Amino acid sequence: MIVNELILPVILVTIVLVVGAYLVAVIDGMIAAALGTPQRGGAWLAPLTQGAWLLTQQANATEAPDWRAWRLAPALYLALAATGLAVVPFSPTLIPTDLVTSVVLWGSVEALATVVIFLHGWSANTLLALIGAYRYVALGLSYILISMFVLIGVALPAESLQFSQVVASQEGLWNVIRQPLGLPLFLIVGLGMTFWGPFNLADSRDLAGGTASTVSGPSRLVWELARAAMLVAFSGVAASAFLGGWLGPWLPGPLWVMLKMLGVLAVLLLLGRLLPRVQPERCVTLMWVVLLPLSFVDLIWAGVEALL
Amino acid sequence: MELLTLFFILLIAAGLGLLIQWLPLRRQPMPTYPQRAPFLGGGLPETHAWSRFHVRYYPMTLLLIAFEMEMMFMYPWAVVFVEQGMKAVMEMGMFLAILSVGIVYGWREGVFKWQ
Repeated sequence: MIVNELILPVILVTIVLVVGAYLVAVIDGMIAAALGTPQRGGAWLAPLTQGAWLLTQQANATEAPDWRAWRLAPALYLALAATGLAVVPFSPTLIPTDLVTSVVLWGSVEALATVVIFLHGWSANTLLALIGAYRYVALGLSYILISMFVLIGVALPAESLQFSQVVASQEGLWNVIRQPLGLPLFLIVGLGMTFWGPFNLADSRDLAGGTASTVSGPSRLVWELARAAMLVAFSGVAASAFLGGWLGPWLPGPLWVMLKMLGVLAVLLLLGRLLPRVQPERCVTLMWVVLLPLSFVDLIWAGVEALL
Repeated sequence: MELLTLFFILLIAAGLGLLIQWLPLRRQPMPTYPQRAPFLGGGLPETHAWSRFHVRYYPMTLLLIAFEMEMMFMYPWAVVFVEQGMKAVMEMGMFLAILSVGIVYGWREGVFKWQ
């Protein structure tokens, strides 16, 4: 019992998270190379060499950082990613933690991510990091509502807040077709949560790296790892909420989940490379005035469809 | 048991994150103070990082709280939605409509702008 309910989930989540984060770096490198950005080394080896370099690098510090918070923020972000991935069902029986309220748990992961990212920028005690943190809070408080409405939309036909039930409810037709607005809106949330590509307001280039501008060495390695891991956890949730999770012909369930996660990751990373960064001052208006009403429409659509 | 597993996963991931930082850093000497000056592209730090900022999106955060409260009712609502049918649609529709007026009002007042 201990093996099945405690050790197996931990091993599964750890492996998926580490391998997934590595694949995020590999796929991103391949996309960058295909789009013409010069890359050092091969796509498969570059993340490893960069990781080793960060691990052995002499870490800089600021004058009076909040040491505990500064070291804790990347670790907590990684922990949030692991917690988020833990509720993703890989098959009807292979679920790390099959919480009855797993949709609520994922919502809390999104909310706490905002806290952790702000903590990362705030604790460095430098100006650019703090500006990045403040910008991120504006983004984080805007996307969270969109995410919640879209996820409530998938919970309606399932009549449950459990991701395994949500997947089971897509037996006939996947939510990506049944609720066409859901997945595009949720992908935007994913880019926001990991401040990736167009929504990179926290660690953006115009702030010389934002919350990570003074972070170097192993701490930066954990921060980058946690970001990639969060993207993996997000793709797991997106695959189970919209792409039918383990459902699919011929192949076994867990393999389908992995393939769908890879698909979501590839789309997110491609969007991250193709789209320009959104202006921070326009981002809030875009979220509240355009995307939030769209998520209302998605919810009404889902509700009507569930009742028919 | 599920919550215990979840807590275990949380602890292990956080511990791993701290360990990756602690192991290589414990032997490194602290950088000198000139090196630890805040990174401002070579400029001198003339303001304290914790000086007072005007958080321009402050009214937006208040609007968010209204919606977050609504979210709290929405979780149980989602579970009984199909069972309750049209009644549930009407109730949440009214709730959302009232909150949407708040968005429109906030938009008119320029809550979603920073400049």
